[in-house]
Amino acid sequence: MKNKLEKINVKAVLTIATAALLSTSNPVLANSTKVDTDSSNVSEEGSWDFDSAFLFYSEVDRVSAGEVIINAQKTFANDEILNLKLTVDALTGASANGAVAQPNVQTFTRPSGNGQYTIEAGETPLDDTFHDTRVQLNGQWTQPIAPNYTASGGVHLSKEYDYLSLGINGNIAFDFDRKNSTFSAGFSYFQDTFTPEGGIPNAFSSMLIGDSSSASWDDNFSQTRIDADDTKTTTDILLGFTQVINRRMITQFNYSYSTVDGYLNDPFKVISVVNSETGLTQDNIYESRPDSRVKQSVYAQSLYHFDSSVLDVSYRYMWDDWEITSHTIDSRFRIPLGDSFGKESYLQPHFRFYQQSAAEFYQPFLIDGSALPNYASADYRIGEMTAFTVGLKYGLLVDNGHELSFRLEYYHQAPEDAGFDTPGELKDIELYPTIDAIIAQVTYSF
Amino acid sequence: MNKNRTVQLIKNKDGYGITFNAMASPCEVIIQSMDKPLVTQLADLITNEVWRIEDKYSRYNKLSVCSAINNNAGRSVSIDQETYLLLNFAEQCYQLSDGLFDISSGVLRKVWSFKGDKNETDNFPTVKKINAMLCRVGWRKIHFDQTQIILAKGMEIDFGGIGKEYAVDRAIQVAKQLTQSPVLVNLGGDLAVTSCRLNNEPWQVAIEHPDSNSDSYDNTSTDMIVSLKTGALATSGDARRYLIKDGKRYSHILNAKTGWPINDAPRSITVVAPQCIQAGILATLGLLQGNHAEEFLTEQEIQYWARR
Repeated sequence: MKNKLEKINVKAVLTIATAALLSTSNPVLANSTKVDTDSSNVSEEGSWDFDSAFLFYSEVDRVSAGEVIINAQKTFANDEILNLKLTVDALTGASANGAVAQPNVQTFTRPSGNGQYTIEAGETPLDDTFHDTRVQLNGQWTQPIAPNYTASGGVHLSKEYDYLSLGINGNIAFDFDRKNSTFSAGFSYFQDTFTPEGGIPNAFSSMLIGDSSSASWDDNFSQTRIDADDTKTTTDILLGFTQVINRRMITQFNYSYSTVDGYLNDPFKVISVVNSETGLTQDNIYESRPDSRVKQSVYAQSLYHFDSSVLDVSYRYMWDDWEITSHTIDSRFRIPLGDSFGKESYLQPHFRFYQQSAAEFYQPFLIDGSALPNYASADYRIGEMTAFTVGLKYGLLVDNGHELSFRLEYYHQAPEDAGFDTPGELKDIELYPTIDAIIAQVTYSF
Repeated sequence: MNKNRTVQLIKNKDGYGITFNAMASPCEVIIQSMDKPLVTQLADLITNEVWRIEDKYSRYNKLSVCSAINNNAGRSVSIDQETYLLLNFAEQCYQLSDGLFDISSGVLRKVWSFKGDKNETDNFPTVKKINAMLCRVGWRKIHFDQTQIILAKGMEIDFGGIGKEYAVDRAIQVAKQLTQSPVLVNLGGDLAVTSCRLNNEPWQVAIEHPDSNSDSYDNTSTDMIVSLKTGALATSGDARRYLIKDGKRYSHILNAKTGWPINDAPRSITVVAPQCIQAGILATLGLLQGNHAEEFLTEQEIQYWARR
């Protein structure tokens, strides 16, 4: 008898027998409206979990963006996880072109070279031709490779009309101290290709202004261009350490080292060259940045569970060889509301504070007749600034335990006066306009 | 049959406990959610499902499908899909155990009486009586298909060996379909969970030591704590059911082929498996191996605890 039992894989046969027994619908369940009668949960494989989100972002008088995200995740029998994410966003509106406001009407050429636009006196020059659609695909595979070791690898593809980004990443995590501690190391590599309509402008060449329908226009415009496309590569190394402090608290520390090489200019940005006495613009020249950047950051996050609420606070310090440093404090506090305002509903206030110092070559304008620096950019995004976000998220469970959440946030960005002497007319001009934006998001998990 | 069918809700720190009685055992459902309407609905659905299975398959319930089959031995009794699947499962267990596990062996209880008396029994069956009763045992003498079953005259079947574990698995299915909150279903010590607890924490399950409710044998008996993140756990064996004759302890685990208790079986076996019914059968098959129990269970590459 014993010998016979040995020959049969009892466990395997029982698994099949159990699956046959339990995989049928049940009269009680069939009568319940709540319940899916196609009960297939005998399988050890999980089904796909989906998250979908719609996000709307709008800056006052500037860019608006709509974004749809679909995230799908499946866990397989041996704890392998496949995650696929599709992001589509559409951007429209106007973005600062870098030039300073003037007491008179200004005319600028569109980045494509096809046509011009004018900016009223006293207004910050915005290029209103921004409209782009971006499709982004991410795939990530994660699996245990040995006891306490988890490996993960992924690919990234992002395509816009004038931009292509391809990336790969890998990560390995090691659990120890009974899984109370995790150490992880990862890398990623991206190659981006920029093919702006109208080509890549020659740094510090003057923006051509004139009659774009004249016979010589195209030739003259192409004089300001060096190439049809350019590339940059980004290599990131990330080291992480996660520690469970106790039942209520978990902390995480990250260090990242990132090096970017290649074309780092924004081909759509110019910098005004103004008269040292009057402050009037003499010329607008395309910006110039170094062709490499090394960024480092340290990050600490702590999650604390109170009896029912959860506090999540993080801090990041970033520094780079462009002399930009930044501090980010981000905090969320999740407050369960019980079932008073929807099943298992919660409110989550969000506050984020960001402060950044300027890149060494940041200048709001250049003075005509002065020696041209090696690099110069008037892009407000690399100037000194302070920004904060306040927001509120509300989530609840709808039918079948699916989560629905709404997020509404307000973003305020205030550039600091960079301390440059402002000649003549520029004294009365707002050189550092603030940006206000509203972010609205709806997320549904199913 | 509907005696004492009440459900109690107890609010815990991070969820609710639901307690009720079914299948002659104290039962408990733990859900890690503060959503009271959800908990109430879950309590309702799970207790209905467990009591439905009890009513349908208990041999003590005169109106059960089991009683209908047993009371009509010798005649064809029509059955539904669920009953067919349970019989099919019992058939697989019979074949896997080479006939040691047989849901028609319950009639042997009529000659064996395991009271757990520490003294010598004066009620030890005779070989003749056992052999007479053995004629009424034998899965091979039962014929069934998708729609009907026929027992040979004098035979009885008993779902006691699989019913409770089956109810645990059905209750888990009900819970999984209703909520994503972590749920543990415990029917008299046979239990399963829908997932790990919140924050990926395991459930801590205490397994009662076979001797914990009796003052006999050793004094070192302690409950054992098992961490469970997924799947199920079932225990077979009952240290309180045995009898003693000529100084020899006879366990209540009967060999369906001989009609005699299995020699040298562990007093209890606890097994972890993806489904409760699987865990229960593996534990029972382990007991039926007698002194080879541990060897058999080790070969199955499962997590188990055998207590002797």
